[in-house]
Amino acid sequence: MEQAPHILVVDDDREIRDLLARFLEEKHQMRVTAVRDAREARRAFTNGHYHLVVLDLMLPGEGGLEFARWLRAQSDVPIVMLTAMGEETDRIIGLELGADDYVPKPFNPRELLARIRAVLRRAGDAPERRTELSARNLRFGGWTLEPARRRLLNPEGVEVALTGGEYDLLVALVERSNRVLTRDMLLDLLRGRQAGPFDRAIDVAISRLRRKLEDDGRNAQLIKTVRGGGYVLAATVERA
Amino acid sequence: MTLRLWPRSLAARTAFVLIAGLVVVQIAGLTIHALDRLDALHLAQTREIAMRVISTYRTVMMTAPERREAVLGELRRVPGLTAELAREPPAPDLPDTLPFGQRLLRVNLNLVPLMGVPHWHGLRILTDHARHLIIIGMRIPDGDWLNLSVPEEPLRPWHSPRFLAAFLLMTVTAAGLTLWAVRRLTAPVRTLAAAAEALGRDVNAPPLPEDGPLEVATAATAFNTMAARIRRFVQDRTELLTAIGHDLRTPITRLKLRAEFVEDDEQRGKMLADLEELEAMVSATLAFGRDARTTEPVASLDLAELLRTVLDEIGDTRPNVAPRLAYEGPPHLTVRARPLALKRALANLASNAVTYGGSAHIRLKPPADGVAVIEVEDDGPGIPSAELDRVFEPFHRGEPSRNRETGGVGLGLPIARNILRAHGGDVVLANRPMSGLKATLTLPA
Repeated sequence: MEQAPHILVVDDDREIRDLLARFLEEKHQMRVTAVRDAREARRAFTNGHYHLVVLDLMLPGEGGLEFARWLRAQSDVPIVMLTAMGEETDRIIGLELGADDYVPKPFNPRELLARIRAVLRRAGDAPERRTELSARNLRFGGWTLEPARRRLLNPEGVEVALTGGEYDLLVALVERSNRVLTRDMLLDLLRGRQAGPFDRAIDVAISRLRRKLEDDGRNAQLIKTVRGGGYVLAATVERA
Repeated sequence: MTLRLWPRSLAARTAFVLIAGLVVVQIAGLTIHALDRLDALHLAQTREIAMRVISTYRTVMMTAPERREAVLGELRRVPGLTAELAREPPAPDLPDTLPFGQRLLRVNLNLVPLMGVPHWHGLRILTDHARHLIIIGMRIPDGDWLNLSVPEEPLRPWHSPRFLAAFLLMTVTAAGLTLWAVRRLTAPVRTLAAAAEALGRDVNAPPLPEDGPLEVATAATAFNTMAARIRRFVQDRTELLTAIGHDLRTPITRLKLRAEFVEDDEQRGKMLADLEELEAMVSATLAFGRDARTTEPVASLDLAELLRTVLDEIGDTRPNVAPRLAYEGPPHLTVRARPLALKRALANLASNAVTYGGSAHIRLKPPADGVAVIEVEDDGPGIPSAELDRVFEPFHRGEPSRNRETGGVGLGLPIARNILRAHGGDVVLANRPMSGLKATLTLPA
């Protein structure tokens, strides 16, 4: 990204706003505008141009969900929600409203950064398709990914558990089906989640995904290894 | 040993008392009836004897003295009565007692009209108990004695087949009615016991119906009020916890952000680790609060994959224990459950095994009788057997020395047990024979 991305942070806690702004600006070369509530956010958004909005769903006054709805009506700007830990309902509604991703609070700053980067990258490569992504289910080879519930269903409709890393990896592969994903892109996705050496983590996660998708490792049909370091999901993806 | 006869259940005791009382009343009633009947029988028998005696006496008196022996001979041919003429009164060696029956006979003899024959001059009535005979001696006016003996028919007031049938019918019917009524009346006590039991398992158990007899309805109302109070108490405590948990999120987030500005890598790492731990405690507290209102829908899920995923997540965050995590069991097993809740329960048990036992070996046994069994084993020191059940109490933290190092708020096991019980399963802990702890989970499959 040539130009520093401009991020709008909406959070009612001043300390968190300031610290997050400093974290993103000083450490990761982004431009940040931080506001306190939905009213200020509306004004800021109307008067500026933003690449992404980080939105705390638990805002005082007009709630975060209400603002997200307004925002979606105005623009396709990517939204990363900060949700209350364990509040499934908020998260699902948020994703259905068109938020692109969420991070439960208290969040790990590096994980939030990884999410912001991943969403920005996604926004960069397919603007017209992206808005449809988040809430729609993705079907490929009989399997179904439900982003709103963060779950994978096998062809019989039985939920197959995934670790957080596996889920992110699978979403990335499915959203860019039939395109090669380089190691760099995948590393970006897993950063902030994995503790071990990243290269190995990716290989491990891919082999687990293959097992769970019943995709024989030696003769993998769904997730293929590309010579020179990369993976590709070889399947037609339907959105419904 | 006699105390063993006293039944334990309220219904049996009540029925026992009622039926015993019934038997006493029955016996008394029957006795009165029998005595009454005895009197009637006695009277009838006495009358009959008196009639026969008088008619014999008349026959003798109306016969000329020289023909009397011959007539008596004829009379002897009728069974049941013997009569003879003698110089002496009958059997002087027998006691001349006058019990009630004999007095009755004497009265009756005097009541029957003699119709033209002279009255006797003397009368003796004896009873030959040995031969069951009533002996009557009458002194006829010319000086001889007419001695008669009549067999004494034993009176049997109980001796009737209809009597026995009626007695049995009454007793059986009354006993049956008693048992039915007692069971019906004590049913609310059983319902109350079941409700108390259900409340112990789940504070949100449905209330008792407040109907039935007055006392039962009052007890049900009192019970429901108590249950509501307990529920409110648990709810208040849970809400307080949840509120604290929610409030802690903001400072933890700030601290995590601040940690990013710490230059010293080692210190930053430690700070972040501390914060992760703090977050895990808050997360457990919130999860415990959330269990009170399980709204997650039930779905089909692959339990085998879930178990492996739980272990993988532990291995990803703690690579040093990864080699000591193992799953053993079928590659797939579909069950119906609440996915997030079940995952939380399994993750709590597996991470306890890793934290306190240094390893986690999960074994999934295919369902038998509709119940899948999951065993989570570790190689740690186990826990004292007295603690095996207490560790499931909320906020119980075992021996302090162990927890100071490892943290935890003492909610992991209560949460796991709540979740499994809400699924109709359970979890129990046991020490393994050599060393280590084994958690055995059951889950309807």
